[in-house]
Amino acid sequence: MSTATARLEPAHAHVAASGPSTSAILRALMRQRLRRDRWQLLIWLLSIAALAAFSAASVQQTYASAVGRDQVIRLAIADPTILVLRGLPQGSTLPALIFFEIFTFLALLAGLMNTFLAVRHSRAEEDSGRAELIVSTPAGRLLPTAATVIYAVAVDVVLAIVTALGFLSTGLPVAGSFVAGAAVGGAGLAFFGVGLLLAQVMSTSRGANGYASAVVLAAYLLRGIGDAMGTPFGDGTHLRAAWPSWLSPIGWGEQTAAYTADSWWPILLQVALAAVLVVGVFALQAARDSGAGLVPERAGRATASRSLSGTFGLAWRLQRPVVIGWTVGGALGGLLAGALGSAINSQLASDPNLAGIREAMRRIGAGGSGPLTELFISAILSILGVLAAACAVQSVIRLRQEEQSGTAEVLLATPVSRIQWLFSYVGVGIVAVLAVLLAAAITAGLSAVAAGEDTSMIGHAFAAASAQAPVALVYLGVLTLLFVLLPSWTVAVGWAVLGLGAFVGIFGGLIQLPDWIRHLSPFADAPVVVGDVDWTGGYWMLGITIAALAAAAALIRRRDFAIG
Amino acid sequence: MIPLMDAVIDVSGLEKRFGRVRALDGLDLSVTQGTVHGFLGPNGAGKSTTIRVLLGLARPDGGRAELFGRDPWKDAVDLHRRIAYVPGDVSLWPNLSGGEAIDLVARLRGGTSDTSAYSARRKRLLDVFQLDPAKKGRAYSKGNRQKVALVAAFATPADLYILDEPTSGLDPLMEAVFDSEIRRVAAEGATVLLSSHILSEVEQLCDRVTIIRSGRTVETGTLDELRHLTRTEVSFRADGVPQDALAQLPSAHDVDVRDGRIRFTADSDALAPVLAELARLDVQGLTVAPPSLEELFLRHYGDDLTQAAPEPEEARR
Repeated sequence: MSTATARLEPAHAHVAASGPSTSAILRALMRQRLRRDRWQLLIWLLSIAALAAFSAASVQQTYASAVGRDQVIRLAIADPTILVLRGLPQGSTLPALIFFEIFTFLALLAGLMNTFLAVRHSRAEEDSGRAELIVSTPAGRLLPTAATVIYAVAVDVVLAIVTALGFLSTGLPVAGSFVAGAAVGGAGLAFFGVGLLLAQVMSTSRGANGYASAVVLAAYLLRGIGDAMGTPFGDGTHLRAAWPSWLSPIGWGEQTAAYTADSWWPILLQVALAAVLVVGVFALQAARDSGAGLVPERAGRATASRSLSGTFGLAWRLQRPVVIGWTVGGALGGLLAGALGSAINSQLASDPNLAGIREAMRRIGAGGSGPLTELFISAILSILGVLAAACAVQSVIRLRQEEQSGTAEVLLATPVSRIQWLFSYVGVGIVAVLAVLLAAAITAGLSAVAAGEDTSMIGHAFAAASAQAPVALVYLGVLTLLFVLLPSWTVAVGWAVLGLGAFVGIFGGLIQLPDWIRHLSPFADAPVVVGDVDWTGGYWMLGITIAALAAAAALIRRRDFAIG
Repeated sequence: MIPLMDAVIDVSGLEKRFGRVRALDGLDLSVTQGTVHGFLGPNGAGKSTTIRVLLGLARPDGGRAELFGRDPWKDAVDLHRRIAYVPGDVSLWPNLSGGEAIDLVARLRGGTSDTSAYSARRKRLLDVFQLDPAKKGRAYSKGNRQKVALVAAFATPADLYILDEPTSGLDPLMEAVFDSEIRRVAAEGATVLLSSHILSEVEQLCDRVTIIRSGRTVETGTLDELRHLTRTEVSFRADGVPQDALAQLPSAHDVDVRDGRIRFTADSDALAPVLAELARLDVQGLTVAPPSLEELFLRHYGDDLTQAAPEPEEARR
């Protein structure tokens, strides 16, 4: 066989002999990936490990007594909000409580880290045309994908280890810490498969990232619903998840019951899903052209529709998919709030832990008094306020992207004033905020009424949603001003301030952050619409928004427009 | 209103700094109404920065810039009603089709008020530039993105066309289409500022030329005027010409005898006495090559190369 080849292709044999081996190519590709990601990856890994360590330490400090832990677990089982945001209670031991408190959030972060990683090294490379450079070398079309898979496995193994070390650093048991770490890494790997598959299917990295993030959030939400619908067993401090949790790789991770049962089999499930997805990826990639998507690029319109006639029409056209996506998210969240809120009211009216539940609600930022269903709806809507703020942040980020790509220059060379251009995107941001909150309010109100609540609940849902509007608008206004003053900071500061603000403002109370840190976040100062109604924070935020937008309007005339 | 020979673009002593880099360092540019004005310079000379100042996208740090007698920074919106612009590096919205982008720009420029006239202009331009308007922005090649910008610019009549290296991605056939469009708008009385480093294009299209280097104007004038600054190459058959006769030729430079021919260069404005002397010698196979802009350009490029070292010091002052 080898002699025949040698005789037929002596010249090629010479080339092949001097070319790099497959393993050498893989090593080079993996080095390139690591080199590119090193800082980003370090920040992700350290943040996740630090969050594990910090929350473990915080729980140890707060719930040192067995009685307190027992109380808080029973409270959680009685309160679906806590279950949605936390996880699946597995008894009242200290390590079990820690796993319950933080695991799903760590898995969510691991999922986002992995989907971004998958798309960054696949579709984004094809988008930019850099992939062609690699495909034209002996690496070919499939080896870069293989390198990305091996690289992701390595990254997730490291993620599992550093997460385990984070837990271990607070003195938790070794076996359980590694099970917990592996469940985080396993969830990450499963979502890596999701990201890589969507990178095959979608024809743009923006689309792949969007859908992959949506899948991660949906997986988080699915297990939230499954946990909230779970049935208690044993001594009443354990919960068996309902079926929706079983649709989610994060839900599988919870089934490890780290520190109590320490099961490894759910991690096999996560890895198996990743393997199946990766096999699918290779099958798809072998069949398609480099650079092409599975969903074919549709031809556009030959002429512009009537609506695309000005800067607002353009801004709306560019942001429309984002606004629709977040609005659907808001509507689903509202549905959850209304339906569950009504359910807990009947369950909890006679619960001995009522005071404790109210306290938990207060910490999420819903006010401390008033009817339970209303409190619950307010609590969920304050989380949906983050979606509205994210939508506002994205409108401002679009301004920056338009300036950076040079498309803004085309518009500003026509008789369009800068203020008109700027405020088109601000206007779309306002529309987006209102759309998300309105969708959440409508579905929350209607689903509560459908579940048997009084029709006044519709009015309350609108009040709770409108309380979130000033928070989202203050993000819109202040970030717009930042875009005018320091354009190159817009994207990084926008997301960082939103993420920190949401975490500190909404979850800060649950992890006992000092009040002065919490109140740095606009989310902590959202108006209270249940019980002791207080709109002070809202008026302040509206005032800040208007001042920031006025300053932005005055200053946009004064700066240069630059590319890059 | 504006007299016929008035300057549409009037720039003097223009300065623009980006941090420590002086992008423009006392640039002068004057473009008369109804002319096609070539704006030449190597990459990084400041062509695009000048254009950004003229469009009111960048504010000058010093000097004066006027468009139609007004300040491009303050009166940007009003001035843009009279301007069509093609950027040097055309970027389109990835998810908008080329046709949508063309219509959007036309609507913003008020070019669609007469719907049927606009769609006739648009159709003609799409035909001559052979552009498919239904493709999404991200699917176009560099040349086709440029065509989208050109169609958008020409589909709405303007008083002033500012074109930043508009043909750098076009094939030769499309360059010819572009040339005829420039001639068309010029014949209609529009003014054109054409930034380029393609010399043949400028030679074919432009009435006047400004050459800049390192943010400063080095030459400006009509093509004929600039040719006076150059040397003409003269060559003829070497056999039968006495060697000492060459020494007597007035103002012959760089004499070179090769392949049986004698070549030299002479100052373009001192050619007549040289030709008289050559006639007296009765030389055979005489050719006289007119100076090209290429040569003019190379002279300034050449200076760039030799002056590359001291240049930054100059800039720092």
